[in-house]
Amino acid sequence: MTAVAPRSESTVRTSKRTEILEARPVNLDGFVEEWPEKGLVAMESDFDPAPSVRVEGGRIVELDGRTREQFDFMDTFIADHAIDVDTCEAAMATESVEIARMLVDPRTSRADVVALGRGLTPAKILEVVKLMNVVEIMMGIQKTRSRRTPANQAHSTSAKDNPIQVAADAAEGAVRGFAELETTLGVVRYAPLVAIGLQVGGQVGRGGTLTQCALEEATELDLGMRGITAYAETISIYGTESVFVDGDDTPWSKAFLASAYASRGIKMRFTSGTGSEVQMGNAEGRSMLYLEIRCILMAKGAGVQGLQNGSISCIGVPGAVPGGIRAVAAENLVASWMDLECASGNDQSFSHSPMRRTSRLLPQMLPGTDFVCSGYSAVPNKDNMFAGSNLETDDYDDWNVIQRDMQVDGGLRHVREDVILQVRNKAARAMQALFAELDLPAITDEEVEAATYADSSDDYPDRDVLADLEGARSVMERGITGLDLVKSLERTGFGDVAENYLKVLRQRVSGDLLQTAAVLDADFVPQAAINDANDYAGPGTGYRLSGERWEELKKLRHVTSAENPEEEVV
Amino acid sequence: MTAAPELTPADYPLSINRPELLRTPTGKTLGDITMDAVVSGEITAEDLRVTPDTLVLQGRIAESMGRRQLGENCRRAAEMTAIPDAEVLAMYNALRPNASTAAQLEEMASRLEDTYAAATCAALVREAAQVYAARNLLAEED
Repeated sequence: MTAVAPRSESTVRTSKRTEILEARPVNLDGFVEEWPEKGLVAMESDFDPAPSVRVEGGRIVELDGRTREQFDFMDTFIADHAIDVDTCEAAMATESVEIARMLVDPRTSRADVVALGRGLTPAKILEVVKLMNVVEIMMGIQKTRSRRTPANQAHSTSAKDNPIQVAADAAEGAVRGFAELETTLGVVRYAPLVAIGLQVGGQVGRGGTLTQCALEEATELDLGMRGITAYAETISIYGTESVFVDGDDTPWSKAFLASAYASRGIKMRFTSGTGSEVQMGNAEGRSMLYLEIRCILMAKGAGVQGLQNGSISCIGVPGAVPGGIRAVAAENLVASWMDLECASGNDQSFSHSPMRRTSRLLPQMLPGTDFVCSGYSAVPNKDNMFAGSNLETDDYDDWNVIQRDMQVDGGLRHVREDVILQVRNKAARAMQALFAELDLPAITDEEVEAATYADSSDDYPDRDVLADLEGARSVMERGITGLDLVKSLERTGFGDVAENYLKVLRQRVSGDLLQTAAVLDADFVPQAAINDANDYAGPGTGYRLSGERWEELKKLRHVTSAENPEEEVV
Repeated sequence: MTAAPELTPADYPLSINRPELLRTPTGKTLGDITMDAVVSGEITAEDLRVTPDTLVLQGRIAESMGRRQLGENCRRAAEMTAIPDAEVLAMYNALRPNASTAAQLEEMASRLEDTYAAATCAALVREAAQVYAARNLLAEED
């Protein structure tokens, strides 16, 4: 760290060009020197341990330089649950450069490199990915991501916790293509109404979208058990024992919670990311990526189907150090390689520079991940209660153009204005009917009209917050379940929405959504890394954007007709 | 639990390819979950839960894909279906760091075993108790 204050006032004359560069948005971003002793380093640190493993009596007794009596609880959990004891000594004996080449070489199958990965320790995995540049990391992601077809996830929140806004934006998000929708709250007590808005709006836009409400662990599970939400993701894990304990959990409590969700048929993934440990003040002198690899192996050991990673809310930390965004791509690669569903970040405000926001996105968007964004803001960022995302509503058209330019599938599509207005209006009307039926504070016609045409929460009439909170309390007290919502929607003339919702709830009985990277397609067919397993094996294989889907992505807001240059294609 | 059939990845999704293997906790089929049945009250929230048998089937499919730990998670989940919602939450909270004494964790493990026949869950709790003791993460004895 330098003791010299940056950008101090100076009387020294600067060039016109420097003035222009100083004014560029990228110079509002924060950059800092590495400080490896404190863990403020992306992935290249002399303080990370050297890889090692030793097995005695069918048990791992040494892991990355520590013997069992020196293990902290992460070492113990990883040694006992994540690493394959039978194969680890052979796997560890493979040269790291050989493994790195296997990740890139299309002639090595995904299955082979995943099998080898089952026997590796965190330090060995780190040694492998350190050999890979960002393009090689993308090659690895393309091959190892678990689901064949990429998808995307949205945030739908409101600065005023307005459930009608959340419903309308969820409906628009769903029709634009998001497979999963996530909300959270400013005022936590609003949660039941906002979660209902998200669920109802999602089923209006496209039947089969899955929804979640990010809250404290116990409350999140409660909403899931009631069937008001369909999955959960905000189950945070950390790479050092001290930070894990600060988060009031252990690998065993989180593994128990993972089984609790599965026992109710509810899809769930954990969340982790580079930078969280150093941000929470105890990285124990390890690099960000080393600690994240420990998280990934902990998640695998717990038997959870997936992980949201890619720094997530801590992106400012790796973003500030050299090679940080490469490390973020590397953590997505490792999650995919460890055969977990990967919801790959790009979900937090990260840079003032539009160019830098885009470059941060490409290592996930170009190879494709299970969810390119684990939270594209389907509301303007000022309404984003996750503190803003890397992408937001006014980026929709740019996103669609990038998909078309690069011929890559980022999970979204351009949708005509009349269709968007129709689904927004219908979502708001469904909420109006539902609230009336359940004796919740009325939604006026003025609010429905506002929801149809709105951009942000500023465009809606204010609600009576105290009455809403009372209504939210009564939803919980009356024990209202997802099935009650289905019945009410059916009774009030929104039978198709009710039917969609019921089909989502019905998936709990099948348990199909518990499998790796499972989503529901528009026909309510579960698509997971089993029936839609990634089969990339080099050029001409794997997911290719073609056929009907490619025709869909060729459409934009403005495309000139080839036959008549005076006309635009609709 | 009845003996589960051998399954392969081709059986997935069970809701499409093997619906005959699936039942609700009250013995109804997926096909019984219709809007009419919901409206008439024949289907209740209790029906929209996964059974231990189904979780075992999903665990086998996961294992057939080489996902050993996901299979184990499904087995623990199968055991947990018997535990009421509130108690599942209470047990989770009791497993948080410094929340329980060694004796309380052993009591929980015994309850899992004796009341719910949840042997793999009990083993996880006992393993946690050992690690918590070694890492100073048990609650102080009163």
